Amino acid sequence: MKAALPLRWLILPCATLVFASHAGAATSANTDTPVRGGTLNLVVDPEPPTLVDLTNTAVPTLKVSTKVTEGLLTYDFALHPEPQLATSWSISSDGLQYTFHLRHGVKWHDGQDFTSADVAYSIELLKRVHPRGKGTFANVAEVRTPDAFTAILVLSKPSPFLIKAFSASESPIVPKHIYEGTDPFSNQNNNAPIGTGPFKFVKWVRGSYIEYDRNPDYWDKPKPYVDKIIVRLIPDAAARAIAFETGAADLGGDTPVPLADLARLKQNARLAVETRGYEYEAGVARVEFNLGNRYLKVPAVREAIARAIDRKVIEKAIYYGYATEVSGPIIASSPYYDAAPTPYPFDIDKANALLDAAGLPRGSDGVRFAITVDPLPISDIPQRTAAYLRSALAKIGIAVTIRNQDLPSYLRRIYSDRDFDVAINGMSNLFDPTVGVQRLYWSQSIRKGVPFTNASGYSNPRVDQLLEQAAVEPNEAARVQQFREFQQIVERDLPDIDLVEPQQVTVYNKRVHDHTTSPDGLDSNFADVYLSQ
Amino acid sequence: MSTNHSPLEQPSRRAVKSLEDQPLKHVAVPLEHSSWGRQFAAGWLGRFRRRASDALDAPNTPDTADAVQDVPYARDWTVFKALLRNPAALSGATLLLALIVIALLAGTLYPGDPLDIVAQPMLPPGQDPQYWLGTDSLGRNVLAELVHGSRASLAIGATAALIGVVIGTLIGALAGYFGGWVDDVLMRVTELFQTTPSFLFVIVIVSIGHPSMSIISLAIGVTSWPTITRLVRAEFRALGQSDFVMAARSLGFGHARIIWREMLPNALPPIIVTTSVMLATAILMESALSFLGMGDPNVVSWGSMIGDGRDMLRTAWYLTALPGGALVLTVLALNLLGDGLNDALNPRLNERP
Amino acid sequence: MISSRTTRVVRRLRRTGAQAVPTVIAVVVLNFVLLQLVPGDAADVLAGESGSATAETMAMMRHHFGLDLTLWQQLVAYLNHLAHFSLGFSPRFNTPVMQLIMSRLPNTLILMVSALIFAVVAGVVIGVAMATWAGRWPDRVLSFIALVLYSMPGFWLALMAIVLFSVKLGWLPSGGEMTLGADLSGWDWLADRVSHAVLPALALASFFVAIYARLTRVAMLEVQRQDFVRTAQAKGLHPMIVTLRHVLRNALIPITTVAGMHLGNLLGGAAVIETVFSWPGLGRLALEAVQGRDYNVLLGVLLLSSLLVIASNVLVDVLHAWLDPRIALH
Repeated sequence: MKAALPLRWLILPCATLVFASHAGAATSANTDTPVRGGTLNLVVDPEPPTLVDLTNTAVPTLKVSTKVTEGLLTYDFALHPEPQLATSWSISSDGLQYTFHLRHGVKWHDGQDFTSADVAYSIELLKRVHPRGKGTFANVAEVRTPDAFTAILVLSKPSPFLIKAFSASESPIVPKHIYEGTDPFSNQNNNAPIGTGPFKFVKWVRGSYIEYDRNPDYWDKPKPYVDKIIVRLIPDAAARAIAFETGAADLGGDTPVPLADLARLKQNARLAVETRGYEYEAGVARVEFNLGNRYLKVPAVREAIARAIDRKVIEKAIYYGYATEVSGPIIASSPYYDAAPTPYPFDIDKANALLDAAGLPRGSDGVRFAITVDPLPISDIPQRTAAYLRSALAKIGIAVTIRNQDLPSYLRRIYSDRDFDVAINGMSNLFDPTVGVQRLYWSQSIRKGVPFTNASGYSNPRVDQLLEQAAVEPNEAARVQQFREFQQIVERDLPDIDLVEPQQVTVYNKRVHDHTTSPDGLDSNFADVYLSQ
Repeated sequence: MSTNHSPLEQPSRRAVKSLEDQPLKHVAVPLEHSSWGRQFAAGWLGRFRRRASDALDAPNTPDTADAVQDVPYARDWTVFKALLRNPAALSGATLLLALIVIALLAGTLYPGDPLDIVAQPMLPPGQDPQYWLGTDSLGRNVLAELVHGSRASLAIGATAALIGVVIGTLIGALAGYFGGWVDDVLMRVTELFQTTPSFLFVIVIVSIGHPSMSIISLAIGVTSWPTITRLVRAEFRALGQSDFVMAARSLGFGHARIIWREMLPNALPPIIVTTSVMLATAILMESALSFLGMGDPNVVSWGSMIGDGRDMLRTAWYLTALPGGALVLTVLALNLLGDGLNDALNPRLNERP
Repeated sequence: MISSRTTRVVRRLRRTGAQAVPTVIAVVVLNFVLLQLVPGDAADVLAGESGSATAETMAMMRHHFGLDLTLWQQLVAYLNHLAHFSLGFSPRFNTPVMQLIMSRLPNTLILMVSALIFAVVAGVVIGVAMATWAGRWPDRVLSFIALVLYSMPGFWLALMAIVLFSVKLGWLPSGGEMTLGADLSGWDWLADRVSHAVLPALALASFFVAIYARLTRVAMLEVQRQDFVRTAQAKGLHPMIVTLRHVLRNALIPITTVAGMHLGNLLGGAAVIETVFSWPGLGRLALEAVQGRDYNVLLGVLLLSSLLVIASNVLVDVLHAWLDPRIALH
């Protein structure tokens, strides 16, 4: 279905063509002049298993990989693409050809030239080994390289979200001459990376720190401003708080300190807190139901549970206010967000009435039935949410047994064995709902053994239709409508209850400037960062 | 003494032979009551065991046999009196009793689920008369949690210690009694378990299942038995030399009977002392597990309270201090009691210059 | 006398070496089987941390780490590695296990050894004091204090110590092994490392002080009664010399036995203390290995621990022979 492209699609490439020669001008939006020199102490946890986000997209991996390895594009806060390794680009009117004009004069850290062959190879590699690559580049049939500085992606079907997938944190461009003919999992480049980025890898002292030096031959002169980045690996949250207070750490993302300590740190004159920079990572905390459970398969029961949860308590007590209430799976900052309130607001009496009407009376001990709850064992927040759920459901006569386990046991239990009733799960929207949200509600996403897929077993033909349409819908307005209807159906069907959108924070020392200049936040390449004294 | 070759081997073979020849074992000794019950009673009230040799000499004497000269343990009422006189044992026992009472009354003192969210979070102690010790980070009543926490600690500790004592005593008894290759094999197995750091072992076992009170008790019990094995083995090797065992053997008693009825009751005193130590260790281990977040999340435990309070160490350190203090009191009570028992049951080692 | 003692030691070491091999293999097999019972594997962990995965990428990861082989094949492969003195590769840390363990071993050794030394020294001093005033109030007070220390969970004592010495008084750091970011050298560096090691070592040692104190007290009181001591006193030797030379020397035998036992088992208790203080040691590595399903690392740590136990047993035997030549090494 080829609708006329809205004007926006034409203006954007033109506008970026104009900006192409002023690489970086759009991103440094500060008034002070950058100061050269200094060492930046970035704190990261846990220790990344590898230094290139090719086969692994764990949060710490994204932080370190992007300083060395870059992507074709970067993005501003309105999620519009901006140049990085590509200086200009255009999308054909049918949405099946993406032409990227690459930057001249860019060299890999080992001196070789960066060319379109690297781009073609990288995209093919990503499609093969990247945790999301297969889905993101699913419609890319081939990558043509007519000359050394042009790469053309040829698609079999339109991918409206694809243009948002080219940041370094999602699709890194890796050197073909290093990876060609090797096993990407064991290639030593993963431990000592070579890239085009503003920082060069120096050394990795396992368990302690990773060191990066300024790249004097970086294509975007005079950047970077910082001389050295030391990535400190501090596994304990309280120790990280102390590191900020003593000045041993300058910058840390993904809420590096315990939420309870944030108030105290904000009072420190040298420190500050930043909430932007998580637009790509943001997700929703949810209560996921196993629709195979004899009680939970009844819609009235799920509605009753939804009505027993007070999202305000979760926001205040569990997230210390660093969260926003949501009713659906799409985050509030997304253009596809449906702001309509939840159809099942907090109402204990109604919940009890629903359960009574469903033929589930209270026993002599006040209990109607019992279920188990498995919280995701990443940070202690899901466990605290489970504790709250236990307390909340006790008020409507549902007895909850919480089951704790570590991450691999949890993943096996939920995604392989389907041995659960309720899971307190998380989810990241990623850069587009088709990539981050669809996998949880699409009936073809019910895949045993693969984590973060449709574990509830939800299957609604209309939802499937909407999601499949939105995946290839080039008309933005139509897409918005499709996602809106999708959210409304899902909020009624309740395969899961979407609780809140957690707000991640960055803690930084005020001497660090321009660390958050894009929705990638600290996952950007830090070329703009400078340290004042 | 040469290694591992037990002089018991020869006599036991003789006993077995006689067993096969003449089925005398159930006829010879007219012990009306179970030797176990009498040993327990005798142990606590001061009267001691009757040897099988007594039965040989005078099968129908009433059960007022005296303890024998060569017994290294206290006699008559000494044990109980010694316990009462010993300030350590007395204070320990009183404290323990108080804790058990609190644990039993937890449900009446603070009915309902202590993990229920009842008020605003982080209420400081002393502000609200309904919540004397304030609330924790989720808004739960700290005092209720403290009181109910005793149940988890005591229950898991007792179960784990019981499992450990039973397994350890069994293995130690078999090793010490039979000697030879049985001893060798069993001691090798014990060594194997001893070389693995017990805490890591517990974590692995808990990871196999998922954390619940029963699995945690099982895990701790299964990893703590080597402690008591060596002790019981040494006891049995020593006891194996004594007269009454020789006599029992010559009477044609089977192994099981000798171990169960004759030797084990006399090996009790050090077992009892070690049990109190194992109980203390089990409680400490459970608290460490809960502290690390691997405890049972449906049950409030002092260890998990400490773990939860750790993030707020700077602002609300009492959330960590109070459950820890409760733990110290409980374990102290057990250790005092263990000390007292040790003093009372082993007077020879009681040093008074 | 000396040469026969040496030959005995050598013979004993050889025998221990011969016994160690089957023990080591048994430890490996036992733990290997146990770990296979734990649900999930390293590929699950990596996929979970990545936040997404596809069936293909997970299959690729499993193949890369050899996790798709059968249990028997994996065991044989591991034993093969061992025979070549390699401990395998860690999927989670992306580095050879031997390298990982060697980088963390010194930290744990520092902690364990300093904790043990402190516990022994403090225990002996307290024990001597208790024995000297045996039966009187200093004895009872010290005995009670030791018992209270013995009853405290180490991690709780650690937290309270952090509250007092770090938060309130600010004397000592609350975690880590050194000040991050400060490039110190020489005495400054040493002072910094020591200040970081004090609280963890004390927390670890607290539990054991009571044990050594008691052992010392009992041994001293027993030996004091014996003839040779009375003879020495009758000869007019100063009681302090008598105490130190004869009594203490014999008291050291049970102390070294118990210390040897503890050295082997300290690894488990160190795990919790290392977590509280974010001390980069083997205990915490083992905990992370369990949660990361990093079997190679965990097996490596457990192997090391059993070797440590065996080594400390031998050390204790040799020490005994040196302390009391009456004890034969057979």
